[in-house]
This record gives sequence, structure tokens and C-alpha cells, in this order.
Amino acid sequence: MDKKTLSGSFVALAVAMALAMLLKDGYSANLMAWMAIAALIASGLRFVTLIGELNFAAAAFVGLGAYASGYSLTILELPFAVSLICGGLFAALIGVAFGYVTLKTKGPYFLLIGFAFTEVIRLIYTRIDVLGGNSGMIGIFPPDFLWERFTVFAVGLSGVLIMLMYAIEKSYLGKCFIGIRDNDQVVLSVGINVHMTKVLCLSIGAFVSGIAGGLTAFVNNVISPADFSFLLSTFALAYLKVGGEDHPIGPIAGAVMLVYLSSVSLSFGGGDHIFYGIAIILTLLVMPKGLFGLLEHLKTSRKTSSTVQQSTRESQI
Amino acid sequence: MQTLTQLILTGLQIGALYVIFSLGLNLIFGVMKIVNFAHGQFFTLTALLIAVLYPYFAGHGFSHVMAFCLAISAGILASLVLGYLLYQFGFRFFQRDLAGSFILSVGFVLFIEGLLLHYFGGAVKSVPYFVEGSVSILNVNVTYQRLILIFVALVFTALLYWVLGHTKTGKAMRAVSIDHEAAMIQGIPYKKIALTGFLIATFLGALAGAVMAPLAMVSPTVGADYLVKGFIAVILGGLGSVPGAIIGSLFIGFIESFGGFYFDPSFANIAIFVLVMIALMVRPNGLMGNG
Repeated sequence: MDKKTLSGSFVALAVAMALAMLLKDGYSANLMAWMAIAALIASGLRFVTLIGELNFAAAAFVGLGAYASGYSLTILELPFAVSLICGGLFAALIGVAFGYVTLKTKGPYFLLIGFAFTEVIRLIYTRIDVLGGNSGMIGIFPPDFLWERFTVFAVGLSGVLIMLMYAIEKSYLGKCFIGIRDNDQVVLSVGINVHMTKVLCLSIGAFVSGIAGGLTAFVNNVISPADFSFLLSTFALAYLKVGGEDHPIGPIAGAVMLVYLSSVSLSFGGGDHIFYGIAIILTLLVMPKGLFGLLEHLKTSRKTSSTVQQSTRESQI
Repeated sequence: MQTLTQLILTGLQIGALYVIFSLGLNLIFGVMKIVNFAHGQFFTLTALLIAVLYPYFAGHGFSHVMAFCLAISAGILASLVLGYLLYQFGFRFFQRDLAGSFILSVGFVLFIEGLLLHYFGGAVKSVPYFVEGSVSILNVNVTYQRLILIFVALVFTALLYWVLGHTKTGKAMRAVSIDHEAAMIQGIPYKKIALTGFLIATFLGALAGAVMAPLAMVSPTVGADYLVKGFIAVILGGLGSVPGAIIGSLFIGFIESFGGFYFDPSFANIAIFVLVMIALMVRPNGLMGNG
């Protein structure tokens, strides 16, 4: 990550956190926390697209993170920070096992098996009594010193994790991931273990999803198996697609916009299924590269000189 | 012995339903190389329409058989229209684009499910059996409705085999699924074949909904459950392979039947997933998949 991008994203994050600080009202503060979490989940989904796979198991990892955090806090009575990290690590651990087995498959097979995995993990929660079965777990509260300002914490942590993912994307490892997406045989030919690299990518994605799950548990205070169905992956995919997947800002923009619009549509009594459905269909048919791709397209088609392109790209970040 | 026969028959019946369902998924994947998540909506729409239209027709002086025939035809016709619309205004632009078509189909699922919930309500509906009564096979009572399901699955699987093997359209579909560019060079009208394949698959999905409606509680989300199992059957058998889809479906049917009896239904679902994972470790492209 170059210096300009780094400083730019820190400024953006600081502004977002300051905004979160200003929100006193319970609902709008929660809404902002949900946006941050949604952006984090969508960015995690985007991270796995670097190796060219659509990770529909993301919802399962969010759920695993939420349950692991909730279990650590309420039953093992571990401190807040430890239980949040436990959520991420547990999801990452399952991610390694899941990825090791399933990443031998590709494309449609991987996608569909991730989908099935999500549904099975959800079934497993309902069968474990200590996790509250069908009704789920309650009383997952953040510590007193964060109670008032949990939104600020959620926004800050999500922002830092998204930046870390971007840093990995720009590093040597990120280039390996993209190489695998473009042509895994070439990556294999220079002596890189393609399979384990893919497992690593999925596990990082799972870790981030797990942390997002832990944050969800602390924001909502209550979790149940129904919260982590494949719909969660679907919505994350909508954020990613609507925002645009070519740039890390895409999923953030998509998440902020769609979470806000769906909260508005809920107040009108509209169903959020129809809303998300139309958003996905229209985006794909009208602007296949998402909002961000559309902006980029408009800017580059208006001014074609390369220096201008350079400056617009920088100003967007 | 009696329990065993009972379980085998139940397994066959569940498997038969997944066969009809997964053959449709497979056909779409074969000709267009897309994963259609909205396939379950054809199932749901047909089942819902039958649940609503049968009492309507029966209440307007039609006989039992006539009312069913009308309701089933209307349900399947509506699904075919829906399928045509989805193809014309969506999947047509996303052929051979796996991620794009998948996301589009998810959009359609959310949209259609929302509409169905809005118009039909979330309440569960039930549909009476087409034919009342049962027959005794090896000391086990089997309702005619279940036999109809197995019979329909057999007939349409055989029909699909015949179409793919012996008709011009079927051969064209197979050619397209192997290499669509080479097929086009040979003068096969790819777009027409893709639409035909899509509509045949739609018909199979709707048919599954029609024969299943009396045996299941019909609700706007009923298709989703069958969709997951149908897809697992297809992955297990290998995408694009017709015998693979049949084997995968029967396998899942039997696990559901035996696992559900000796343990419980959610155990059966978990077992299916674990077994499919093991199968994929050995054969990443499914049992009958090539490569």
C-alpha cells in the first residue's frame, strides 16, 4: 500500500469513527455498526474472490465467530477482547479444515458446497443445547467501558481489518492469490504450493468473517441460528456486486448504501427480500461492474489523458 | 424385513423427487454452464398455484380429476412463462458466466420469493392427494400418490434419456454442452438450443413441484429445501452428468430415509454433507464428472 492510499484511508476511517462518536440515538448508532459489519463481511467475501472463488460459506464463518465469541464470553467467562479474538480464530480454524477439503474443487462445486456447509452448520447449532438450540444465545454484552461507544469500536475495528486485507492484497502474497485466479498452473510452475495458498486465503477470509460475527453478537446482544442462513452470504454478495468488486472501496460503498436503503424500505413496510433482489438484478443488468465501476467508467470516458486518470484514481482513495 | 422394505420405498420416493429436480439443474448447467439458484422457484410457484387453484376449480363445479388437471396445467404453464421471462430478461446475458449467472439467480430468488410471500402469504397450505387409497407391496402400505411420484420420475427420466440420445434437439444439446463453439460451427443454433434446454429444465422443476405438492406442506419457501438437496445430488454425481444426477439423488434419498428412521432428520442432513465432502475429497468433480 503506498503512502497516499494509507493516509487517505486513515483519514476516512477517522472521519467515520468521529461520525460514530456523534451518534447518540440508539437506532442510528446500531445502524452504523451494522453498516461497518456488513462492509467487513463483504470485504471478506471480496478477499476470497482474489483466488477466483465465490465463498458462500462466509455466512457459516460469521455464525461460527458469533457463537464462539458468545460462548467464550457468557459460558467460559473470558474477557471481552479475548472472546472477540476467539471468534475470529475459531472461524479461521474451521476455515482451514473446510478449505483443505473443499478447495480441491473449483468454481461451481466450491460455491455449492459452501452453500451446503452454511446450512449444515446452522443445523448443528440447533442440536447443541449449550448454545441454546433453536432459540439461540442471549446476554452477549460488550464491557462497560465500551457500552456507550460500541459503534465507534465496531467501525474502527472493521476499518483496520479492511485496511489489513488491502495491505495483504497489495503484498507478495496478494500477487500469488491473483496469480492463482488468473492461471494456477503458472503459479504452480514457480514452486508455490497452490492448494495451501488457497487455504490460507480462505482462512484469512474466515478469520475476518469470524470477527464480524463476534461484533454482530456484541451489537445485537442476542444470536440465533436463523441469523446465519445463506441469506447472509447472499446479502454480502449484494453489497459486493452493487458497490463493485474491482476496488476495496466497492464493498464498503455497497454495504453502507444497501443497509441504509433497506432500513428505509423497512420503515415503509416493504419486504427486504424484494428490495435486495431488485438491487442485485438491476445492478447486474445495468452496471455489471457495480457503482464504483460505473464511476470509474464515467470518469475515464470523459477525460482520457493518462495523467488525469492517475489523479482521479488517487482522489478516489 | 417390513421396516427395510418401507425404508427402501421411502428412499426411492424421496430420491425420485430429487431425480426430477436435479435433472433440470443438470440440463441448465450442461447447455448454458450456469448455476441456476432460481430453479426452486419453479417448484414453489407450481405447488402454490395448485394449492390455490385446485379448491377454486373444485368449488366451481369441476370434478376432482378435472380440477386437478386444470390446476396442474395452470401451475406448470405459469412456471414455463416465468422461466421464459427469467431467460429472456436475465440468464440470456450471462451464459457461460458462472459467478455472474449465480448472483443473478440469487437476485431472482430473493425477488420471486418476496413476491410469492406477498401474494400467497406465509401460511402453509395443503393439497389433497390426486388419487386416494394405497396398495400393499411386500406387506407395506404405499399410497398411490407416492407411487405416482416414482412413476412420473421413471417416465420423465426415460423420456429425457431418449430425447438426449435419439432426437436432433437432444443431440444438439449434448454437442453444445461438450463444446458450444464447435457446435455452432457445425450449424447448431446455440441460442435456440439454450432456450429449449432452459425451458425443459423449467418444466422438470415445475413437474417436481406438481407431484410433490400433495405430499408436502406447501409454502413460499418450500423450494429452498429441495434446492439444497438437489444441488448436493448434482455435485455428488458430477455437474452435467445425467447418470450422476440419478445416482446422487437416490443416494441422498436413501440416506434421508434410513438416517431419518434410525437417528433423526437433522442427523441425516449432516450425514449427507459429511459423506459428500468425503466423496469430493476423492473425486473433486463428482462421482461421474469428467476430469
